Amino acid sequence: MPVELENSSVMTVSNSVSGEASVSSSGQQQAAPLPPPAPAKKKRNLPGMPDPNAEVIALSPKTLMATNRFVCEICNKGFQRDQNLQLHRRGHNLPWKLRQRTGKEARKRVYVCPEPSCVHHDPSRALGDLTGIKKHFCRKHGEKKWKCDKCSKKYAVQSDWKAHSKTCGTREYRCDCGTLFSRRDSFITHRAFCDALAEESAKAQTNNTNAAAPTAPANKKAEEDGRAASAPAPVPETSPPLATMVRTELPRQQVASPEHQREPENPASGILQYMPPPPPPPPPPSSITIGSSNSSGTTSSSGGISSGSSASLFASLFASASATTPAQGTNFSDLISAMSRTDRALAVEPPSLCLSTNGPAASLFSQPPQERRPFHPPPPPSPHMSATALLQKAAQMGATATSSSFLRGFGLSTSFGHQDGLNDSSLHWRPQQQQLEPEPAPILSAGLGLGLPYESTAAAAVLPDLMMGPPPLFGPKPATLDFLGLGMGPVGGAATTGLSALITSIGGGLDMGAGAAAAGRFGGGGSPGKA
Amino acid sequence: MEAELRGTPTSIPVSNPNLLQTPRDSLSGALRGRLGSLDGACIEKLLLHCASALESNDVTLAQQVMWVLNNVASPHGDPNQRLTSWFLRALIARASSLCPTAMPFAATGLARARPMTVTELAGYVDLTPWHRFGFSASNGAILKAVQDRPKVHVLDFGITHCMQWPTLIDELAKRPEGPPSLRITVPSSRPPVPPSLNISIEEVGLRLANFAKFRDIPFEFHVIKANSANSGDGMDAALRFRQELASGQLDPSSLGLRDDETLVLNCQSWLRYLPEESGGIARDPSSRDGFLEFIRGLGPRIVTVTDEDSDLDSPSLTSRIMACFNYLWIPFDALETLLPKDSPQKAEYEADVGQKIENIIGFEGGRRIERSESGVRFVQRMKRARFQSIPFDEETVKEVKLLLDEHASGWGMKKEEDMLVLTWKGHSSVFTTAWVPDGFDE
Repeated sequence: MPVELENSSVMTVSNSVSGEASVSSSGQQQAAPLPPPAPAKKKRNLPGMPDPNAEVIALSPKTLMATNRFVCEICNKGFQRDQNLQLHRRGHNLPWKLRQRTGKEARKRVYVCPEPSCVHHDPSRALGDLTGIKKHFCRKHGEKKWKCDKCSKKYAVQSDWKAHSKTCGTREYRCDCGTLFSRRDSFITHRAFCDALAEESAKAQTNNTNAAAPTAPANKKAEEDGRAASAPAPVPETSPPLATMVRTELPRQQVASPEHQREPENPASGILQYMPPPPPPPPPPSSITIGSSNSSGTTSSSGGISSGSSASLFASLFASASATTPAQGTNFSDLISAMSRTDRALAVEPPSLCLSTNGPAASLFSQPPQERRPFHPPPPPSPHMSATALLQKAAQMGATATSSSFLRGFGLSTSFGHQDGLNDSSLHWRPQQQQLEPEPAPILSAGLGLGLPYESTAAAAVLPDLMMGPPPLFGPKPATLDFLGLGMGPVGGAATTGLSALITSIGGGLDMGAGAAAAGRFGGGGSPGKA
Repeated sequence: MEAELRGTPTSIPVSNPNLLQTPRDSLSGALRGRLGSLDGACIEKLLLHCASALESNDVTLAQQVMWVLNNVASPHGDPNQRLTSWFLRALIARASSLCPTAMPFAATGLARARPMTVTELAGYVDLTPWHRFGFSASNGAILKAVQDRPKVHVLDFGITHCMQWPTLIDELAKRPEGPPSLRITVPSSRPPVPPSLNISIEEVGLRLANFAKFRDIPFEFHVIKANSANSGDGMDAALRFRQELASGQLDPSSLGLRDDETLVLNCQSWLRYLPEESGGIARDPSSRDGFLEFIRGLGPRIVTVTDEDSDLDSPSLTSRIMACFNYLWIPFDALETLLPKDSPQKAEYEADVGQKIENIIGFEGGRRIERSESGVRFVQRMKRARFQSIPFDEETVKEVKLLLDEHASGWGMKKEEDMLVLTWKGHSSVFTTAWVPDGFDE
């Protein structure tokens, strides 16, 4: 029976050892599982551990990959998932006491990778999901047992393989950088601006003496099919009208060449390395991408599909390339070496080769839409300070007696902490005031409901008065409602002014409007929903 | 009266939207704790009240309404709530500008924290058909207009950093009669609105050139330099944009027109940034009508214009707020159906819309640069400027329909005379049109 080895949590130094045979050592990995016989009781409740700390669990490779980690204590049946085990246990008709599993769901668990050299081996880089760590381990450190029959791309994780084979060979447009598109116009637009194209044409410039001509028609055809084919060298003879633009491209090439020179390898050996059969034109499976840019070529090379004809054409290109001068070969060689080096789906290496003019090359390799950072608006303390200053000013200028008491009901007067007449609600107020006081900034942003992350340190002087004044205005909502003064307290009589009249009208409006507006604009109602 | 202490003030549990349907005298109960998720009509009313309060300088009432709105708004709630929070923000910005302080007010405090890379931008414009609708239709019309022409010059005015052109280049490359040579010219000035790009327009041009070369199309790219003598450092970006336009950038000589070229004028999300009157020289090219007159004078073969189909330029704040609310819910709703709940990308898109809201509601005068006018009014304007509309051909319409099919099913299209309008759940969002100058022969 596989044993689950548990590491002590990040925070503790001491090891907690359960009654049975499990061994745990802080931060260390067991390479081999414990002798199976005694099922170690997983010790989850490390004494004295506060809950917020996630529990770090380190499993051995074997345990991680084991399929039946969850064992029923009654009949010893193994299950892949805990939920399945739970379902199964129900069937045993356990007496109520035994039915509960103690503390299992309460804690958040994180898992570390068993591979010592891996970055996720460190508890501070643990992954939060068991399936995630399994997949990670498989992908990075496991053997690739799954192979796509169409393109011979290999995968270690079955779900990856399945996902790939769904799209492999289907009519999806693939850019050299590896991004897939279901729509041609998105593909074209992306391609036009993709660094991969820049790379590749920079190389094309230096290779234009090459036998590009025979392959050009094939390339064009392939391109027009919208496939992943990237022509290695578009016919460069039509350069005269390009005038200004061609010249401006030279700097890019010059930038490119130092990078290319980084790998001055023998093209022949590179070719040999990449194409297992002897160099003269065998159709390499991923030949199409050979001609493509080096950086992204790796991505698609290991999975690239090629039509037979273009394969042989490329192969012939390649053969002739191998016979060319070393200077040119350099471009291919580093391409090849890069490709042969990295046969994985998403190579880590290529970004370094990528002639990226924009930011991190990682942007090339991840789907652009997911690349966005979480949105953080830059803190604009000043406008809000002036807004609050304005509001405070308004509060001070509260015109009539009614409105001033009304405003005070909002707590807008500057003397905050007053309790007059706000009896029951003040009870709610006070504790909140204590809470709110030390943190005006989050309260403001919270209160405005805008989630603004700024610290209005400058505004802090202004804010507390205003903020603490009306915690109802900008603070936790429930207590504030008591301060609407509608039907309570000192301002009950002020129901005719301003806001209360507004609310009244809204309430009335709603009675009529609710039906018309149905579930509201976003509920799927098509009409603008005006009452 | 119950009072709950909630751990996170920002989260407003959306429990009972019917809470407000109570008789008037028990409003306290009505508002008990759960003001979140009012429906659109209700929020609209609130916004109306706030608007009129601001217009009449009734600060107290404005503040009170804002308090209520504040209870409704939430950056983490449903789309209504999120939209409302942007409105509230814009209102606060406006309110604060009523009371000028010593601190300079940043015109766009909502600017995206990080500009996009060019590939990100390519994804951005394709997320919804909002932009590509206009691209496809315009490119279709352009293709037809330059049929059999050997040299094409496109004057491109827009905010999407030339994202439109790769597909045109691609189509031109496949022309049965062979590709033309293509020249694209853009102004260097751009209104300070999203989407923002992390590279210069010149670099974009380089990449386009690269792509064109790849497709064997002779290509040139030019940027009309702005005469930046007038723009001061501390100038508001919006004002600077206008100044630069007015300063002679749009001069026939600076455009480098050539006689043997077929001129194409493309205005995508551009005209709405041109003021009605620039206040300077009458009919100067930086005003809307002046611009139209200017381009007509250049003798273009075709003028394609795409913009947002809504009147967001009313002088009345109240009207603007209402119009805004009844229009900008569309991108929010569309994104909601498209992107997952906590998608940071969605938050960024919404922030872009929020920036628009802030400009429309929060500012006046020269700093309010978002002044969309609806398709119907625009058509009249074009006709006054002596342009004649031309229909999009069947092929183009079919392509656009195909495009829409590939997006969420809420997107649709309708035809109003020669104008095509993109619709979301039946509501107009973007219109696209094609024109030739009146009396144009050939």
